[in-house]
Amino acid sequence: MTDHHFSRVHANVREYEVFARKARIEPLRMIGSVVAPDDDLAAAYARATYDEERWIEMAIVPRDSMTTLWAPGEEAE
Amino acid sequence: MSLSTLVLSLADNKQMLGLRYAEWATRAPSLEADIAAAAMGLDDLGHARVLYGCLEALGDDPRRPEREIDSGSYLALPYFDEPWTAWGQFVAANAVLDTAFTVMIQACVEGNEEVLRTRLRKMLSEERYHFLHGRSWLRAGIDQAPLHDAWRQAIEWFGPRDGDVAELQREGSLSMGPAELTARLEERLDAHAPRVEIDWAAWDPARRRGRHGAIDERTFGMLRGLEEKRFYPAGA
Repeated sequence: MTDHHFSRVHANVREYEVFARKARIEPLRMIGSVVAPDDDLAAAYARATYDEERWIEMAIVPRDSMTTLWAPGEEAE
Repeated sequence: MSLSTLVLSLADNKQMLGLRYAEWATRAPSLEADIAAAAMGLDDLGHARVLYGCLEALGDDPRRPEREIDSGSYLALPYFDEPWTAWGQFVAANAVLDTAFTVMIQACVEGNEEVLRTRLRKMLSEERYHFLHGRSWLRAGIDQAPLHDAWRQAIEWFGPRDGDVAELQREGSLSMGPAELTARLEERLDAHAPRVEIDWAAWDPARRRGRHGAIDERTFGMLRGLEEKRFYPAGA
């Protein structure tokens, strides 16, 4: 059987930051990131990669949807 | 066929699906896909254990001693007889067969058998991520051969329109019969099932498959614990 060839990395991917919390009184905090070509796969990857703890909430955000005010090494204006 | 035989078929197929997923945990197309393969494998092996645990509560455990010596006594589909050699086989199983099993679980959860209504519900939320994974990879494109094979085997597994699953629906054990199960699978995958001619006279109603064959010898040895015994100390 022939099959499509895949590289180890998709050609067009986005980086997604993964946020989660264990209790309602905690704020969501960033626990890691995943790389995927779409939101569906990013959700599946985030759940598979970071599900080892008993989170009550998990969310993903495309990194390019985040607005950086300043970054390490830069000063707040 | 009794409800417990259907649950055993679901359990055997989930067990084989989990094992085949796990075999791809180091050779999927990306590191994230490796991790997802391992995680989904663990999920399905766990689901199989829960399903096996329901058999006694259903009052009729159909497992017989020949399962220790005859790989053909397992009720898994031909799709799982041999390890997958192409990523497209993984994706087709993930998208079509895994979702077909989930649709059947939903039919059990919505049916009138209390043990299934309560114990299987959590599987539905876990399976959501299997579905997202399979659908996304399916959209990326795979060869038609494994996809067609997976659809065919899903339809065979649901059974003939007026057969045993339809009878379980009439009894209320399942909320859906073969036609509704196929329609739900099509709806979830946003695709029409391919036209397949199935010779129901040659179909095995216990194993829910039309093709002869059985799990490969090495995997069968693993199911029986024989692979692990190779690593026991001498004399143990």
